[in-house]
Amino acid sequence: MLDQFILGLSVVMQPNVLIYAFFGVFLGQLIGVLPGVGAITAISLLLPVTFYLDATTSMILLAGIYYGSQYGGSIASILLNLPGTPSSVVTCLEGYPLAQSNRAGLALFVAAFSSFLGGMVGVAVLVLAAIPMTVIALKFGAPEYAMLVIIGLLAASMIGTGSQIRSLAMVVLGIALGLVGADATTGYYRFVAMPELADGISLVSLAMGLFGVSEVIRHASRRPMRGAAPLSVSMRDVIPTRAQAKSLVFPIVRGSSIGSFFGALPGTGAAIASFMAYAIEKRFSRKPEKFGTGHLPGLAAPESANNAASQTGFIPTLTLGVPGDAVMALIIGALILNGIIPGPRLMVDQPELFWGVIASFFVGNIILLLINIPLIKLWVLLLRIPYQKLYPMILLMICVGVYSHRTSVTDVLLTLAFGILGYLMKNYRFEPAPVLLGFVLGPLLEDNFRRTMLLYGGDFTIFVTRPISAVLFVCSVILIVWALWSCLSLRRKVARTSP
Amino acid sequence: MFKKLLTTLPLMAALALPAAAQEFPDRALRIVHGFGPGGNADTVARIVAEEMSKGLGQPVVVESRPGAGGTVASGYVSNEDPDGYTMQLMVGGHAVAAGLYESLPYESVDGFTFISTLGQFPFIVAARSGEYESMEALIAAAAAAPGTIKIGHSGVGSTQHLTGELLDLRTDADFLHIPYKGGAAASTALMGGEVDVVIDTGTVIRPQAEAGVYDILAITSGERWPDAPDVPTVSETVAEGFDVVSWTGIGMPAGVPDEIADRIRSEVHAALAATSVNDMISSLGAQPSPSTGEEMTALIEDQISVWTDVIESAGIEKR
Repeated sequence: MLDQFILGLSVVMQPNVLIYAFFGVFLGQLIGVLPGVGAITAISLLLPVTFYLDATTSMILLAGIYYGSQYGGSIASILLNLPGTPSSVVTCLEGYPLAQSNRAGLALFVAAFSSFLGGMVGVAVLVLAAIPMTVIALKFGAPEYAMLVIIGLLAASMIGTGSQIRSLAMVVLGIALGLVGADATTGYYRFVAMPELADGISLVSLAMGLFGVSEVIRHASRRPMRGAAPLSVSMRDVIPTRAQAKSLVFPIVRGSSIGSFFGALPGTGAAIASFMAYAIEKRFSRKPEKFGTGHLPGLAAPESANNAASQTGFIPTLTLGVPGDAVMALIIGALILNGIIPGPRLMVDQPELFWGVIASFFVGNIILLLINIPLIKLWVLLLRIPYQKLYPMILLMICVGVYSHRTSVTDVLLTLAFGILGYLMKNYRFEPAPVLLGFVLGPLLEDNFRRTMLLYGGDFTIFVTRPISAVLFVCSVILIVWALWSCLSLRRKVARTSP
Repeated sequence: MFKKLLTTLPLMAALALPAAAQEFPDRALRIVHGFGPGGNADTVARIVAEEMSKGLGQPVVVESRPGAGGTVASGYVSNEDPDGYTMQLMVGGHAVAAGLYESLPYESVDGFTFISTLGQFPFIVAARSGEYESMEALIAAAAAAPGTIKIGHSGVGSTQHLTGELLDLRTDADFLHIPYKGGAAASTALMGGEVDVVIDTGTVIRPQAEAGVYDILAITSGERWPDAPDVPTVSETVAEGFDVVSWTGIGMPAGVPDEIADRIRSEVHAALAATSVNDMISSLGAQPSPSTGEEMTALIEDQISVWTDVIESAGIEKR
């Protein structure tokens, strides 16, 4: 494996290739910062350019945009509570409180560094285990996905900081919103009030509305208070202390492993990985009450997870020629335009392309770290602008971002409506993150559960007779028992202390 | 100021009118399509637009109006002015939608001036390597054990899905049809052994077939396909007369004056002759297929009647 990787490095280190790797990640980073403008928009605009490049270079360029945007996504989330991608929703949870308490620089540093480490772990998994991971991914059928999503939903109920009932209610609201659109199993239209809703509510407009717009409304309804808050941008406040760094080691290890695993499963991807990483971190933490207030491990774990996932997300694309999501489909499209048919033979027929692209991830992650650290100062300065001068621009960017996603005005209006909803929710202490998780996972569960029923003639035992599914089933039972037990023991404690 | 504008505007319009009639086109044109930015339809539209703008001497802008399987875009285009400045990139789904939707905000045939098809492509019936000897063997197996052999398809109401249902109707086979989100997901399920057969385009099937992962059993076009002359058709093996090709094409709102429609058609044909467009269409597994408006109309009418039948007899839920 290693000599092939070195072959790949020799491809990337050619100056004319390296410049495109740099350009790709840099552009991705920029695109990621703009809320709502996804990698997909940038890649589709650059697709014609790849006519003039060879296949390897085009692939390196487009892939760079993709994982570069994952880095950029965390910046708007931390500074302005604007999650550009679903996976950076979790970044908001800890990152934004950090920024609010004048620790934006530290948050950005931790996010960039854990992204880097996560990305590197992802690349290592790609180099060492692409083929075994492919074999495992292919073993995941509908029953396995259904069980996996159930575990995800259980984890979702642990994400909230407030009462369990409230966060459960929000998960259900998310699932309900996820029902809008054509039913994937029968094609029947559910809650399609207007034809624009036939494809469902856009995740981007839900996320932008609940997080970004609601925050703008909240600020607008308050007296401006920040003004000239003393903002420290000295490097000492940006770099974590030794103790802080130490507390991040295991979260990053766990986050990267979770991310690497979920990324390799086609169709689940970075969003679920980062939610899972966050939930697990909270569960394992000795101070779960600190989550939601700007707790660094809660930032580092999901950041490393989503970047690891965006690297291993290339596993099905590169080893099978099967795109895991819409962005991957575009990248494969670029290869086809270059006359290369991506498929299982890619690794054998085009070793320079295959390993060149993987090596470019390695180089690209280093470039990203190098451009991110010096930029932190600049980003923090953005917070010096009084919020009331910033928010018209934020709203404009949100509108443009949401519109660019599906070129739909309905989406923009929905975003504003979700903003009002998010504002009301916040006023009544309901949290938006579980809504998003329900929205992402609900349809996935329904889809895979019903597909399982179709495939196996409505036989429920299939969930425990298939080995992987059975293991996942046991895990979810353990999670439920654990939750019940800790709930009961808490109640007993309360009963004992109160006379 | 405003009053002045009001009085001058009609005047300007009156001045502009004869000029427009003399020299078409005098401003930017656009190609609307019903799919997301960055999809295949979008890419084809962009490449065609670029070529056409050279011939027309005006920019051709691509506009994506996604939603409801492309019917949002069709409804929009059908209600636009037939002045020749609005085109639509249509796909095979246009004919499927006529049967699939309870009501549509447009007439599927009479609501449009069809210009020309751009490309036509067949679907490929594939199974895991070594599972079935031939198309005949697959159909025999599916007839012997009704409801057990699974076809994974790219979504309820997709042409891929309906092609599978049509196989049920035209042969003794009785397949179990399993929906996935897109051809790639269906193909992954075939690789993983969750389904037994996938019917999809060459872009999905060919790479796996070349790697020896899949066997290609048959092709759905009525005649053997020029790119793959060795592959037998469904028609010659198990269902005589079976003929499914999907297509992309250019349409305009109904009532476009003939001379303008002809002008656009010749530009579309010129664009199809350009290498960039030709390469793009071929890379998607399609044959470039310049046609007359009548040919495109006949193709769509024919497909509407076939798919409406399939949707009714397979009991697919209308939308």
